[in-house]
Amino acid sequence: MSTPTARRFGRITLDMRQNLASWKQAAFLGGSLAIGLAISVAILAIAGIPPLQLASELAGVLNADSLRNTLVQAAPLILVGLGASIAFRIGFWNLGLEGQMIFGGIFAAAVSIHQIGPPSTRLIFMGLAAAVGGMFWVLVVAFLKIRFRVNEIIATLLLNYVAQYFLFHLLYGVWQDAQTAFPQSSQFRPFERLTDIGLGVNSGLIIAVVGVLVAGWFVHLSRAGFYMRFISANPAMAKVVGVPIQATTILVVAASGACAGLAGFVNVASQESRLTQSFADGYVFSGVLIAFLSRNDPIVVAVVGFLIAVLFITGQTLQVFYQIPFTMVQIIEAIIVIAVASSEFLIRHRIHWIR
Amino acid sequence: MSLALELAGIRKSFDGVVALNDAVFRARPGEVHALLGENGAGKSSLMNVAAGLYAPDAGTIAIDGAPVSLSGPADARQHGIGMVHQHFKLVKPFTVAENILLANRRRYFRSGIQEIRKAIKAQAEELGFDIDPERRTDTLTVAEQQQVEIVKVLVGGVRILILDEPTAVLTDAEADRLLETIGRLAESGTTVVFVTHKLQEVKRYADAVTIMRGGKTVATLDPDTATAAELTELTVGQTAALPARSQTAEGQTRLNVGALSYARADGRIMLKDTSFFVRAGEIYGIAGVSGNGQAELAEALIGAQEPTSGEIWIEGMGDISHAASGQPRSAALAAIPADRYAYALAGGLSIADNFAVANIRSGRYGRAAFVDRAAMRRDARTAVADYDVQGVRSVDQKAALLSGGNAQKLVIAREFSREPAVVVAHSPSRGLDARACAAVHERLLAARERGAAIVLISEDLDEILSLSDRIGVMTRGRIVGEFVRPADRQAIGRAMVDHA
Repeated sequence: MSTPTARRFGRITLDMRQNLASWKQAAFLGGSLAIGLAISVAILAIAGIPPLQLASELAGVLNADSLRNTLVQAAPLILVGLGASIAFRIGFWNLGLEGQMIFGGIFAAAVSIHQIGPPSTRLIFMGLAAAVGGMFWVLVVAFLKIRFRVNEIIATLLLNYVAQYFLFHLLYGVWQDAQTAFPQSSQFRPFERLTDIGLGVNSGLIIAVVGVLVAGWFVHLSRAGFYMRFISANPAMAKVVGVPIQATTILVVAASGACAGLAGFVNVASQESRLTQSFADGYVFSGVLIAFLSRNDPIVVAVVGFLIAVLFITGQTLQVFYQIPFTMVQIIEAIIVIAVASSEFLIRHRIHWIR
Repeated sequence: MSLALELAGIRKSFDGVVALNDAVFRARPGEVHALLGENGAGKSSLMNVAAGLYAPDAGTIAIDGAPVSLSGPADARQHGIGMVHQHFKLVKPFTVAENILLANRRRYFRSGIQEIRKAIKAQAEELGFDIDPERRTDTLTVAEQQQVEIVKVLVGGVRILILDEPTAVLTDAEADRLLETIGRLAESGTTVVFVTHKLQEVKRYADAVTIMRGGKTVATLDPDTATAAELTELTVGQTAALPARSQTAEGQTRLNVGALSYARADGRIMLKDTSFFVRAGEIYGIAGVSGNGQAELAEALIGAQEPTSGEIWIEGMGDISHAASGQPRSAALAAIPADRYAYALAGGLSIADNFAVANIRSGRYGRAAFVDRAAMRRDARTAVADYDVQGVRSVDQKAALLSGGNAQKLVIAREFSREPAVVVAHSPSRGLDARACAAVHERLLAARERGAAIVLISEDLDEILSLSDRIGVMTRGRIVGEFVRPADRQAIGRAMVDHA
């Protein structure tokens, strides 16, 4: 007998599922991912990369030298994923992660350019400044949302462009590198860079790991994390029982911006060691993807962030050796999102075919 | 002449709560038949049975003298019975014609919608409604949406039209116009049944009236010969002797509500200069027909909705009507809202979380850095046992799995764990069985003994009468009369309907 929630579409009916065993959920998720990856491999094959060579490239990413690059790439991705996931936990759709990264980078670069603080603490100052920069750029939106009910999706997204053009303004203006005359800042001094701390691990990764642990504590163990659950589960009820919604929202949004700002800092201080035009390109999409795949859990963000870094590095290699545009990486990201989203659908619905 | 609609011996219960008990209803063809009764008397349930929405546990339905069994609303429409519900069932972004087509399917869309447009025009002309079939329904006023609902049912060829509290959402002028239209419709042969609380409407527009009380049919009479006093008495029943109770000393004022006003976003004024005060150790009951501002009053008091103007003063906190600053009002005020899953519980979170959330600020469950989950679970388990919350296998299970009565007990356990100075309870026993209901009342009386100031808002007059020390009657967003215990039931009943 069909339940009242059953719906019919031609010869297909859909039922809502009440509950599904977790191993079946995992099977659906795994199956969808496999299909998504298979489609990605097929697309790459059409673009001229035989699957066998793709496999050897992927294996190459995991050798010692490439692993170092992958971990360097993983740090900003994990931080930006944290920024997305904690904001998403309370339903604040922060799509301005790129703008906040840019402001993180700008604030950090300002500390370097104006030589604020002694050399021994310069790097710490740059990190703190970056966190403040990211926070500043997102709190503008938090204020607009709380005070004037401005939709944060649009506001954060569009402020990415404002940040981007402000960055251009600096790089084509006062901060332009005098030596090369390229639109980029002059290189940071050696003590202003995030360097390897042995075993091929970059200190940027330390920041990301600490970020993961702090975010994990924040959402799982702290009182604010407890409040966050009520704010997302039932805001009207949370208000009535005395949950400090506004204060918690501001705190969470600020933390989200700070994570993105730190991601900007880690990116500029560990890879190019200078502010470039495009250091934040594409990170908002990656951040949202990581948050989505990790179901907003900071600990899982670390794992997913690493996997996306593998994808990035592979993409870069393919770009160099096979002239595949980097957009291909974003296409594969998108295919994976669609695959996971459809597994969610299958987890929640049962499909029958009528003969 | 045979009866147009006859319901006999109808029984219906929901999860053990009896809604209809041997209810009877008879309507003659072409008459306007009013169905009168208090909230919870079973009027809507009975009409939902007639419209095929509820399958009765026992009883028979006959149309034009022939017994039928209805498998659903569509089947009822096939038999010529259609109902306009209190909450309209329109698909907002669709046009009027599309909505009506949806309820009266045609084989092909193109020819079907043409046909429907013509039918709407004809039907609207006959009724004197001004309906544009191409308007989107979300641009219509409430009165216009109601007209669309009526046309929707009539286009389907219905001969028995049931309207569930059609005038509750209308202004006086709109209500008069609607009821006049209904009269014309009846003259042309359609049988119209309308559910109402309002005596004046019954006297002025109905050819017959059936009165229900407590799930039973009390009487069917001719409203022209019955007096208003008779109708009131039949509706509210005889005054039962109130149990004696200890008189608490007249305490100081704990809660003062002054000139509270609230206008909805659509401009409708729901609260208009509502004023009353409640002393320590006193239960102040607010009686009234539902929809007269009680829900808005409760929301303003518990802080779910900010009033437009006026004050809510609580001893020790001052005016909290707009304050978002300082300590939350939940520190001094216990909120027992009518809609538990809207304002009292987060269904997706655990029982322990739901219990602990209101007290976590006090530091009882750890400092800001670390939440003490063990203490939460321990306290929640104790509360579940103390308040007899049934159906709890573990305090880690989702709150949404609790039945209505047990969810209510959990809310009360949480709200009373703080010994609040003020309690606001809105329909606290709605949907509860007799035992759970008695337990809830016991808790309210215990809070009164302890010296709390209690506001009890309820549409159940018996509940108000048996618990309250003083009673305010609310009509059209204001308190129109106050009564001191032991209050005269008839007088309150009159105050409730006279101003309506």
